[in-house]
Amino acid sequence: MAYNVVGKSVPRYDLPEKLTGESKYAGDIKLPGMLHAKVLRSPHPHARILSIDASAAEALTGVHAVLTPFNTPTGRVAPDLAILDTTVRFVGDEVAAVAADSEDAAQEALASIKVEYEVLPFVTDPREAIKSYATAIHSGGNLIGGEPLILSRGNIEEGFAEADLVVEESFTTPAHAGAALEPRVAVASWDGDRLTVWKSSRGVHADKLSLASALQIGQENVHVIGPTMGAGYGNKDETRLAAIVSALAKSAGRPVRLELTREEEFVAGRKRHSTETTVKVGVKNDGTVTAIHTITLMDTGAYLSSGPGVVRRAGQGALYLYRCANVQYDGYLTYTNQPSGGSYRALGAPQGHFALESTMEKVAEALGMDSLEFRLKNHVGPEGQPGERITPADQIIDTQPVEGGVPFSSNGLQQCLELGSEAIDWQGRHERNANQSGSRLRGVGMGMFIYRGGPGTPTNAWMTLNADGTLQVTAGTMDVGEGNSTAIPQMVAEELGVAYEDVKVLFGDSDITPEAPITSGSTATFSTGQAALNATKELKSKILAAASESMGMPANNLEIANGVVKAKDGIASMTLAEVAAITGQIRTEASLTPGSTDFIVNSFGAHFAEVEVDTVTGNVDVLHYVAAHDSGNVINPQLATNQVEGGVSQMLGFALTEQMLTDPGSGVTLNGSFLEHKGATIQEFPNIDVIFADVYDPVGPFGMKALGEPPNIGVAPAIINAIYDAIGVRIHDLPATPDKILDALDRKEREGRA
Amino acid sequence: MKPLEVINPSTVQEASQLAQSNGTPTNLIAGGTDLLDEIKEGVVRPDKLVNLVSLTEMQGINVKPSGLDIGAGTTLAELASHSDIIRDYAALAQAAESVATPQIRNVGTLGGNLCQRPRCWYYRSISFLCRKKGGTTCFAALGENKYHAILGGSDCVIVHPSDLAVALISLDASITLSSAASTRTMPVEKFFAGPDVNIMAENVLTPGEIVTSVSIPALPANSKSIYLKAKERQGMDFATSSVAVALTLAGDVVSSARVTIGGVAPIPWRATAAESVLVGKAVGNVDLKEVGEAAVHRAKALEHNGYKIRLTSGLASRAVETLLSQWR
Repeated sequence: MAYNVVGKSVPRYDLPEKLTGESKYAGDIKLPGMLHAKVLRSPHPHARILSIDASAAEALTGVHAVLTPFNTPTGRVAPDLAILDTTVRFVGDEVAAVAADSEDAAQEALASIKVEYEVLPFVTDPREAIKSYATAIHSGGNLIGGEPLILSRGNIEEGFAEADLVVEESFTTPAHAGAALEPRVAVASWDGDRLTVWKSSRGVHADKLSLASALQIGQENVHVIGPTMGAGYGNKDETRLAAIVSALAKSAGRPVRLELTREEEFVAGRKRHSTETTVKVGVKNDGTVTAIHTITLMDTGAYLSSGPGVVRRAGQGALYLYRCANVQYDGYLTYTNQPSGGSYRALGAPQGHFALESTMEKVAEALGMDSLEFRLKNHVGPEGQPGERITPADQIIDTQPVEGGVPFSSNGLQQCLELGSEAIDWQGRHERNANQSGSRLRGVGMGMFIYRGGPGTPTNAWMTLNADGTLQVTAGTMDVGEGNSTAIPQMVAEELGVAYEDVKVLFGDSDITPEAPITSGSTATFSTGQAALNATKELKSKILAAASESMGMPANNLEIANGVVKAKDGIASMTLAEVAAITGQIRTEASLTPGSTDFIVNSFGAHFAEVEVDTVTGNVDVLHYVAAHDSGNVINPQLATNQVEGGVSQMLGFALTEQMLTDPGSGVTLNGSFLEHKGATIQEFPNIDVIFADVYDPVGPFGMKALGEPPNIGVAPAIINAIYDAIGVRIHDLPATPDKILDALDRKEREGRA
Repeated sequence: MKPLEVINPSTVQEASQLAQSNGTPTNLIAGGTDLLDEIKEGVVRPDKLVNLVSLTEMQGINVKPSGLDIGAGTTLAELASHSDIIRDYAALAQAAESVATPQIRNVGTLGGNLCQRPRCWYYRSISFLCRKKGGTTCFAALGENKYHAILGGSDCVIVHPSDLAVALISLDASITLSSAASTRTMPVEKFFAGPDVNIMAENVLTPGEIVTSVSIPALPANSKSIYLKAKERQGMDFATSSVAVALTLAGDVVSSARVTIGGVAPIPWRATAAESVLVGKAVGNVDLKEVGEAAVHRAKALEHNGYKIRLTSGLASRAVETLLSQWR
């Protein structure tokens, strides 16, 4: 379909301000009389705070407030998270906080706070944590919900009984920090009973609820502003940060700012959950998959955060990526005395798909089938999974379904496999890498994936024609860097018949925008975008109705093009300013629960990597990378390409070098720095070809589907499978650091197997 | 970070006097790329810093027929880009180029690189009072030790982080230390000291003593050198293992060999067994596997660093192979 604005790579909405350094980030907020806060953190992985003597700190010059669990509002930031608690649950957990004239003064004051701890037994290993005798980190025990999450379709016993071959493999993935350049930061200021907070935020309305709950004040008394985000990465969830500064500001009677240090960001931020996953697959000799049973044990650390959502999402690939009547997923989520897990781009999907797509590679090998051929034969098709629909006919289909019998709104997975394999020259891979000798060996690998396609929870948007003829889209969503503040006005402009530049955007302020969910689950552009589109349609009809009256022509004979209302078959026209001069300001509002009652809306993709493994050093060099995505119709090709390249670059570290490590004997985080939490640098980034399948989704606004998180999912499978192709050893434990590659080569040489 | 007094002396002698602290915790600082991190981490808590950057007598690379004299204040970037060093002392240029990032190489100095403190994460964390900080436990020995020593570590299993030291030892360099009272020169190899000598330090510097220069003798005719460094990440990383080899040929026979390995022991480790394997061999008769095995003679793995034995052995073989191929 030919569009004027949609499908064009218009510049990011916030590009000029970012390029000139004028963008205001939360860290740039400076208020008159503002104090600076520092947090005292627990040296113990698990302890009860018996008493705190802060009198010496309070007496220091320049100190204005000291917050302890004993003088803090007792509401909850999250169900298992107080502002400050008398139990500490990991090394680095918040104990107390000080607001002072300067960061140095606050830091110095921390040293004079005396804390009496009763040290408790601790557990950092999730396998130990779920045992009945393990020390309970929260009342109610360590295994969340007291039992695993079990989801199934069909009957796996029957499925395995039908199989000619059963393959079972186990894998682990490490805790892994988002490591955004912008650390978490918040500034709080009170005006009487009313609180204003500026923070790095993924959702100002959700933050408002959390703060009202923690501080035990009315929601109407909380105003949250999300300035420009210095990288969201689906990270920067709920933490205590904003609640602590709010309580300190109340106590000090002055604004307070707290910015985490780099080390704090690693230790007290939120990380991708570590996992241990076993995948068991039954297949017939012809390659038909008869059963898939997956068990994941996931460590949420000291607090729940988004853990239940993460463990749920880790299972979706195994439940739905391969056509199979009999599937089951058992997800165990446990507390430990590790730093807390939380949301990180694509939640559990990278962990789950790594295990699934590594196992499927083994299955194809065991069958003697090319693994691309195996995937082409078995990937879930447009018709969905076998089985009966369970969701009532009038209800929206979940984006993470378990049931069969429901088709996809669109499914370009086959295209992704075909286009991607062509771009990496899959068929020629063995020929070009044949007769390799020496210590540097090349190989090609792949992985495919499935993910939520965009429908999220209920959301709202407003469209305004101002009295001067200017346009504004208003929504409570946040642009966390992915670009919804560009894609949404593109859709609005297209619908209305105006230029992209003519639509102003107002997001991320809880006082003056309608409620929207946090920017998560790859839903913001799809869901809030649809709401904006609905509001735009209504505004358009109101504009046309007003113009119709003024021009004396039937509304259905009018259109808006290039920002002007004109007769379809004549020269009569009115500018929007002229319309607005008659109507005054018009605001339309749309609310919706996005999704479809007929279809599953999912995004898909297939990633391919060609690597070179140095068998002397164990280093893996990714030479060429192909990322093929079905995200429906692409609203902004440049932004979409950047989104994919960013995801691939981000997850190189997850595949090859990055992990958070704690000392097993003490629970202390050992590597909270960019030096030792080894994210990929420009020297590691490969050439990345980004391909979008030609798909127009019938449900999504302008045919689009989700793209925020999917780029992260296929990276580890493609690279790990490529390593196997190159050197014949399979890495089961991420990241595939040189030590693991060399040890695996050693085992292979000694025992003749990987 | 607590407030610090920074003093800019005008001579080495003055710097040395200032550095003898008389009770005030004092550190020497040049590029500061390591020291400032240590101060921020709270591992080192000086009240006073003596800044060596402005000392002109510690600057410069002097090329002479008999070899090179390099001021300790010379930056890593200068070493990596110096045409005589690239041509005649390749291992040193390669080692300098392998360090960290361009920003760090632009300010990090030769002296600072040799005197930098270990990267051991237990040493670097104020949560652990390890032996190197006056405690009684080596936490790494039984903890997370994938980056730690396979040679020479007993009471303390750190590895020495310097890249330059490994290259300089293979180039048979000497180092000059000056204090207000005296000046002494010794082989670079003798400058470093393991935990058996002094667990609190990695070298023989006495209070007030400053590394002022390094000299490298001109290599005999028909000599070449190489430095190879293994790291987990190509940008900004320390060595998991490194090897510097300098070879001299007489005809097609190896007449002299110096092999040093880094990232594997508390000091840069001279691999004399590998040298013995090489010396006297005709180029065509060098058994690369034997060289590699000899390089890790007596190496012993901790729980998580067994890969370093294979890695170092392979890297030593590759270094010798690459070097020999340059004569073909």
